[in-house]
Amino acid sequence: MGGSTNGATDLSSEMEVDAFRRLFPLRFHERHLLESVRPDARSLGKARETSLALGAVASADGSALAKIGCTVNPTMLAAIKMEVMTPAKETPDEGCVAIDFHMPPICSPIVRPGRPAEAAPVVSKQLSDTIISSGMIDLKELSLVSGKAAWMVYLDIYCLDADGALFDAALLAAAAAFSHLQIPVVSLNDDGRIVVVSKENGGDKKEKNKPVNEEKRKLKLKNIPFALTCILHKKYILADPTAEEESIMETLITIVLDSSCQLVSLYKPGGPALAYESVVQDCIALSRQRVKELQKVLNESILDMEVD
Amino acid sequence: MAAKGGAAPATYSPSPTTYKKKRAPIFTDVDWVRPDGRDFHHCRPAFLRTGAVNAASGSAYAEFGNTKVIVSIFGPRESKKALMYSDTGRLNCNVSYTTFATPVRGQASDNKEISSQLHKSLEGAIMLDTFPKTTVDVFALVLESGGCDLPVVISCASLALADAGIMMYDLVAAVSVSCLGKNLVIDPVSEEENYQDGSLTITCLPSRNEVSQLTITGEWSSPKIHEGMELCLDACAKLGKIMRSCLKESASTSQE
Repeated sequence: MGGSTNGATDLSSEMEVDAFRRLFPLRFHERHLLESVRPDARSLGKARETSLALGAVASADGSALAKIGCTVNPTMLAAIKMEVMTPAKETPDEGCVAIDFHMPPICSPIVRPGRPAEAAPVVSKQLSDTIISSGMIDLKELSLVSGKAAWMVYLDIYCLDADGALFDAALLAAAAAFSHLQIPVVSLNDDGRIVVVSKENGGDKKEKNKPVNEEKRKLKLKNIPFALTCILHKKYILADPTAEEESIMETLITIVLDSSCQLVSLYKPGGPALAYESVVQDCIALSRQRVKELQKVLNESILDMEVD
Repeated sequence: MAAKGGAAPATYSPSPTTYKKKRAPIFTDVDWVRPDGRDFHHCRPAFLRTGAVNAASGSAYAEFGNTKVIVSIFGPRESKKALMYSDTGRLNCNVSYTTFATPVRGQASDNKEISSQLHKSLEGAIMLDTFPKTTVDVFALVLESGGCDLPVVISCASLALADAGIMMYDLVAAVSVSCLGKNLVIDPVSEEENYQDGSLTITCLPSRNEVSQLTITGEWSSPKIHEGMELCLDACAKLGKIMRSCLKESASTSQE
């Protein structure tokens, strides 16, 4: 593209906007940056409009749908299924959380069946690291009978529409799914096995087998982590990039803060631009604002669900 | 999910006049109460919407009761596999399930078979010669499986193809009936599918009155087959109308 930059300056006045955007994507975005605005009319530090809907999947124990961007379309669907397992010998009082992030072929033109996207396992690992290390979930709460039975929590997050900042959206959907989670009532049967008490026969069997976890239907979530991904390009910082922006300007930095704005993790996977301390500070400042926004979105979605 | 925002979902049960003469005696022997309280010949409310995925060239979301499906269309684009030269376009279909689609985690059925059935039912409706040398990818994700997955995927896929501007002879609508003892139930839910003695699925091009795929499995008598087909064709015609109005709606909102 070296020679094209000069050509682009001359052509830009004559070309149609769409053609210019395709042929000289970097020039197109830099022209916007000069005016401190982005192609979707956001200012540089502004994240996209975000909303959450809890309980989207009827067959799951907890689920949430995150919508990022102005469209009505969902971008992330997270669902939790609980299973009873025997805890590991080293941690007899703890349950386990397995987190998986999926990018099905429907979500993006670059993903094809049988050839999973490279990004998916990376995001998957980042998500489980973040959720476990933030201390959002106390694994001891997932214990049912010490050394005998504990909950295995399967959290699956599906990307339905890949449009940049996948980790941020996935983490939000995951946190929301945990907020929505209703732990199934289980009881110990005569053989000492854990069985799920279904709603219908829960009434008449009560005197026989007392539920083990009647009071523990919800997890206490503390320090919920929220993430903001920014693009570093020259002197600019762009918060919450779209897929197009991510493909053109390659230096990303992801900052995860918890609800009290403590730093949980910071992730800068290479890229041509270097992150100086002042830049990192600026990104953290943007993340603080974003945490407040997201916390509000999450609280409102929980309230909405309770009203329903 | 999206159903909350939209207008009341349209229903498309077959009209009583067409089948009354043939299957009047069945209601005298009711030994099955449908889990969702529907009449035997009542379909679930169909909610359809196009443009569910921005990253795709066309897409659609379908929600029939608890069956929820998203279909994305990519292309026409370069064929990825090193295939022979072809004058006509190719169609590539893939259906996958989420791990939470079924009551027991990760128990999704064989997707290969469903993918190939989807391919066969759409193939005949698409004008493949309008995109020579290239491939159109039809990818479906079943978010929740609540019965009649394949018919819902097929109808949703044809809507998504229309949304992507792929030329077709007609929309493709699919409906299935289950045979439970003496009764025929239309648009069965998973529970009914598990108990069924036989099933019949028709995929048709409603305005051309052509059937692109007919699958009959299990125990059937000839009069039953006839009756089931009548029922399905009638429901397909109505589903086709709902799909058409969904397309019209999205076209008129995009113009504004």
